[in-house]
Formats: sequence, structure tokens, C-alpha cells
Amino acid sequence: MNQDTKTEEKSLPRVKPATDILETDDGFFIYMDMPGVSKEELIIDLNADEIKVSGKTAYATPAQGEKLLHVEFGNGEYYRGFTLSHIVDKARVKATMKNGVLELHLPKAEQAIPRKIEIQAG
Amino acid sequence: MVIDFSPFFGQSTPLDRLFEAFYTPAMSISQRPYAYPPLNIAEDNEHIRVVCEIPGMEISDLELTLTESSLVIKGERKTAQGKYYRQERPTGPFQRVVNIQGLIDRDKVTARMKDGVLEVTIPKTEASIPKKISIDIA
Repeated sequence: MNQDTKTEEKSLPRVKPATDILETDDGFFIYMDMPGVSKEELIIDLNADEIKVSGKTAYATPAQGEKLLHVEFGNGEYYRGFTLSHIVDKARVKATMKNGVLELHLPKAEQAIPRKIEIQAG
Repeated sequence: MVIDFSPFFGQSTPLDRLFEAFYTPAMSISQRPYAYPPLNIAEDNEHIRVVCEIPGMEISDLELTLTESSLVIKGERKTAQGKYYRQERPTGPFQRVVNIQGLIDRDKVTARMKDGVLEVTIPKTEASIPKKISIDIA
């Protein structure tokens, strides 16, 4: 029994979640579509310059007497990794999971924000 | 940069997607693998259950309409403003129509959203639930 469930877990198809990466004034944002993954099931690893995101969906198996008429998606394991640039302030990386979308906010480090230098007339 | 330009990540060309579609068993069952949003339909004796993956939407932003013989799921996915380096998530308006055959109890239809997955439960009417009648043999 235990063996069975183990092999079942292994055979989950690996899916690369659809991802948006964008830059705004206050840093970079990464959005990932991970429907079916709850906050508790999500794993985010930040290791040196690499950030790895993974999560499993846990859709209920059809109940007794229930027939599947049409299937377009199933259980899967989302997995994706990114390399972070040195201008990202790793200490302030923030992750929010809402409605199946993971939002990673990667603020830029202080010294990377361009500053205007005021010229003083002598 | 934050972008995964390394060749091992993020390869999702249309060709890759085509291959994935061939190798994913769920896709081979489906008649229309590229319709958005993807949905599953299940049925038991009392209910029809439509499950749909729509990440990033509030249930209040969705427009669910039940007509005489179909359920329409309608909405629009909006994007954040900024300079995009990579955009893979679908955006814009979408609509899907699920044809429903048989009698349904339209007042008791429930919908809920959890982790980007919409679940609509449509109860069947008493009349459409199969009943067993025992026949006494005289």
C-alpha cells in the first residue's frame, strides 16, 4: 500500500508553470500560474543566486460512483528555477500566494537604484 | 538579470508544447487541448461537477451564466504594468461554454473558488436521477 502511493507520487508529471517576469520602479516581479497549489504545499528555495519554486497539486480523486466525462488537466508537480542577478536584494525578497498565482517581489539593492547627482555651483 | 537565459530553464516553445500535448495522457483524452481555461467535467447520480483552472481571478470577477442547456464561464485576465522580460501567462478575455444535457436544478447551483481552481456543482433534478423499481414476478 505504502509502496503504491510512493510510485504514484513519482509519476506526477512535471509542469513548468507559466511565468511573467517584469521590472518596475521598485524592483522585479515574477508571477507564476500555479492553480491548485495551496500556500502550505508551496516550496520556495533561495540558495545563493538561485531561486527554485515547486509545488504539487492535490485534486481529489473522483468519489465513488463519479464518472469523469471530460478531462483536460490533472495532478502535477510545478517546478521552475531562476538565477537572480546581483542587483536583487535577497534579504527583502517577498513571496505572496493568492488565487493560485505566486507573486515574487525582488527589490533592487539600494546601490543599484540610479540616483541623480546634484551639481553644486562653486 | 533575473531572467533565466540559461538553456536548461524555461524552454517552452510552441514545438515543446506540441510534444507535451502528445505525451500527456490527459491531453489525449481531451478533444480540444488548447481551449482556455482547461476544465474537467465529472458526473455522479445526483450532480454534475465542472472543475476549471483559472489562476489569479477572484470569483467575483468571473461571470457565470446558466442558460437553458449550457454553463458559460466568462472573465478577463489582467496584467500588471511594467517592463516585461518574459510573458507566458495568458491574458485578456476568455469564455468557455459547457453544454449540459438533462434536467438540472438551476436554483441550487453552487460555485466556489480555491487556489485558482473553480468548482461548479450542478445538482440534477429528482426526475433525472435514475431509480430502481423492483418488479414482483407474479
